[in-house]
Amino acid sequence: MELGTVKDAFDQQLSTVRDTFERVAKRQKLSSSKSQEVIDQVSHEIEQTLANIKSVQGLMSPVDQKSILTELKHKLNAISPLNQLEGSQKELNIDLSKYPKLLEKSFNSDISKTYRNVDFDFHIVNQIIASHFYRQGQFDLGDCLINEAGEPEATALRSQFLELHQILDAIKVKNLEPALKWASTNREKLQLNGSNLEIKIHRLQFLEILKGGNRAAALNYARTFLSPLASLHMREIQKLVVCICWIGKLESNPHSELLDPTHWEKLSDELTRDFCNLLGHSCGSPLTLAMAAGIEGLPTLLKLANVMAAKRQEWLAMKQLPVPVELGREYQFHSIFVCPVSREQGSEDNPPMLMPCLHVLCKQSITKMSKGYSRTFKCPYCPVEASVAQCRQLYF
Amino acid sequence: MEMDSIPNGNSAVSTPAVTTPTNSTHTTPSSKLTQLTESLKLEHQFLRVPFEHYKKTIRANHRTVEKEVSSVISGVNDAADSDMSKDDAFQHLTSLVSRLQGLKRKLEEGSRTENLQAQRCRARLDHLESVDAENLSEWSNTRLKRILVDYMLRMSYYDTGMKLAESSNILDLVDIDVFQEARKVIDALQNREVAPALAWCAENKSRLKKSKSKFEFQLRLQEFIELVRVENNIRAIAYARKYLAPWGATHMKELQRVMATLAFKSHTECATYKVLFEPKQWDYLVDQFKQEFCRLYGMTLEPLLNIYLQAGLCALKTPYCYEDDCTKEDPLSQESFRKLALPLPYSKQHHSKLVCYITKELMDTENPPQVLPNGYVYSTKALEEMAKKNNGTITCPRTGFVCNYSEVVKAYIS
Ligand SMILES: [Zn+2]
Ligand SMILES: [Zn+2]
Repeated sequence: MELGTVKDAFDQQLSTVRDTFERVAKRQKLSSSKSQEVIDQVSHEIEQTLANIKSVQGLMSPVDQKSILTELKHKLNAISPLNQLEGSQKELNIDLSKYPKLLEKSFNSDISKTYRNVDFDFHIVNQIIASHFYRQGQFDLGDCLINEAGEPEATALRSQFLELHQILDAIKVKNLEPALKWASTNREKLQLNGSNLEIKIHRLQFLEILKGGNRAAALNYARTFLSPLASLHMREIQKLVVCICWIGKLESNPHSELLDPTHWEKLSDELTRDFCNLLGHSCGSPLTLAMAAGIEGLPTLLKLANVMAAKRQEWLAMKQLPVPVELGREYQFHSIFVCPVSREQGSEDNPPMLMPCLHVLCKQSITKMSKGYSRTFKCPYCPVEASVAQCRQLYF
Repeated sequence: MEMDSIPNGNSAVSTPAVTTPTNSTHTTPSSKLTQLTESLKLEHQFLRVPFEHYKKTIRANHRTVEKEVSSVISGVNDAADSDMSKDDAFQHLTSLVSRLQGLKRKLEEGSRTENLQAQRCRARLDHLESVDAENLSEWSNTRLKRILVDYMLRMSYYDTGMKLAESSNILDLVDIDVFQEARKVIDALQNREVAPALAWCAENKSRLKKSKSKFEFQLRLQEFIELVRVENNIRAIAYARKYLAPWGATHMKELQRVMATLAFKSHTECATYKVLFEPKQWDYLVDQFKQEFCRLYGMTLEPLLNIYLQAGLCALKTPYCYEDDCTKEDPLSQESFRKLALPLPYSKQHHSKLVCYITKELMDTENPPQVLPNGYVYSTKALEEMAKKNNGTITCPRTGFVCNYSEVVKAYIS
């Protein structure tokens, strides 16, 4: 397939949709001015008649009056305002009904086909959304939802993320103190996780001091805070301390990459990751991830639902989808072994087995080929002979 | 390589011919764009709802004009046919003119609303057209916010919905004003008032009839039940004759059941009738209204969030998700997501997808899986790193088994 063809075709379709909409909008405007016009015509005729009545001095004979009014009646009849209105509305109606039909054709008009009308507990959904807001630092939104939905407060989670966002907000205004405080409090755990967050914070702090130009302060900072970390980060610290010689012309120091402003953003990201890690949370919002997976997967599921409906297969009853819903690798959390022979997914009862030729099949396939352990068999991928005894189970 | 000649073990479910993009093309720009396009096609409601709103305004405005003009005309006709005095005729015609002027003002205001709503339809089209590879992640963030606002509105969490829409500056991309209309009816039903709901039915009479809705009938039944509850039997019977009888032709059974409450009264213990007097009948009416409302505006009956979330959980769900060692990066490691996914089917794979236990990276041809003598498998990258750090010694992180890197063999997994 050529690059972007599908998108181009859809863009084409969207522009048709837009054109059709603009026709409706134009027709609506026409119809509106038609209505104005009709009202003006009727008003005009009545005002004309009023002027006629007024122009008659003194009393008016009932016959004259009647004939003036009848004339007005006939004139209005000739204008036939209601027919005019109806006519313009009829044309508008045609376009009004065209547009939704086009939308139905260009889009998936019912994306709920795959929805299982099962117990989808909205309390759980509310909690997930509130946690999502807290995680994003939108505390007022989270609180508002908890209040409005009458859900129990997620106090622990809220205060954890509040701490995180206070640290991040401080970093935004180049205040590293809260970050440092958190990192040093959690030094052991961070080291255990292989994180070197603390030295990175110190590095940024030290560079800020260098930028300020105060050599004594820089030296003092290096002695107080950097030297205790020397055992773990010797080279890093050497690099930093050397920079003192370039005070006043830092850009020309050999390690000028240290001054890259993206270090600040990177620090925020890393701190978020380490913070979540330590508290046993995922790095990103699980709601964002699950929704993104849904948006990626739904088109396939909808196609599947259509095919199954045509075959009168039951969507609601199945325990496993009959086809893969391909997602990007960012959604791959578990090792799934699929036997290339039987197409079965590996399981505890039917685990993957390594043959002497280093090809891997599932246990059932091997049992079958060996006619129930009784004889040697040829690997279906290479001509090497194997016996069941030579195969061993794999653990991914 | 596939071995199609070997009979298919016990695959019970026949596989529908659904074409899915294959793994290898998944990250190329073209497939990313294809994927984006497919996801844009899910946005029917996003364009449909503001249009239905627009259409409704147009129709209502037009009806007003038609009604007023026709009554002005019949006013003229009446005057022509009667014997008014000159002064009376003058007065009469003057009042008709000012009525028309009033209509004109109303029409101008109506057109302004129409134009604003047309503008909103355009804003939606613009938004769909604005997405490309560069702004995709920001656009996706906005999409999640839109979906969240949709959820809030459907659940009647109006404050949260409004706050989210305002703070994210997406008022044109969500349907807050459409739901204002629903809110009036829902609030009233929760206060056990049917009048606004009935007015809404009258307003949408032809479309409700087209979809064979019996919502109005259900409202009428509830009003009848309330009369029976307070034992106002005479009014109840009069009410039934006027408002329930016309539904008899199509809904006789329900009608009979409800009418029978006259004999049982509200404190009946008979289960069939007792339930009719329960307060949850009003909740049921609220649900019913929400469904009718969504149908009328071309919305899905479920919140978009639920639909996408179910699809996502379906695609993510594996038997391993419910084990203790499920990584916390997997939403399904959390109790809340697990519970939601419980009634959903598991995902399916046609090809092995192996994730390294140590690095969490995919094990593929670039980073092939390697087998320790104890059968545990890790990625080449992970083991190389470990070997480099520990003088060629490998320690299995799950069993503590120790071996030399040279004892490790590469497995071939197709
Ligand atoms: Zn082999
Ligand atoms: Zn999982």
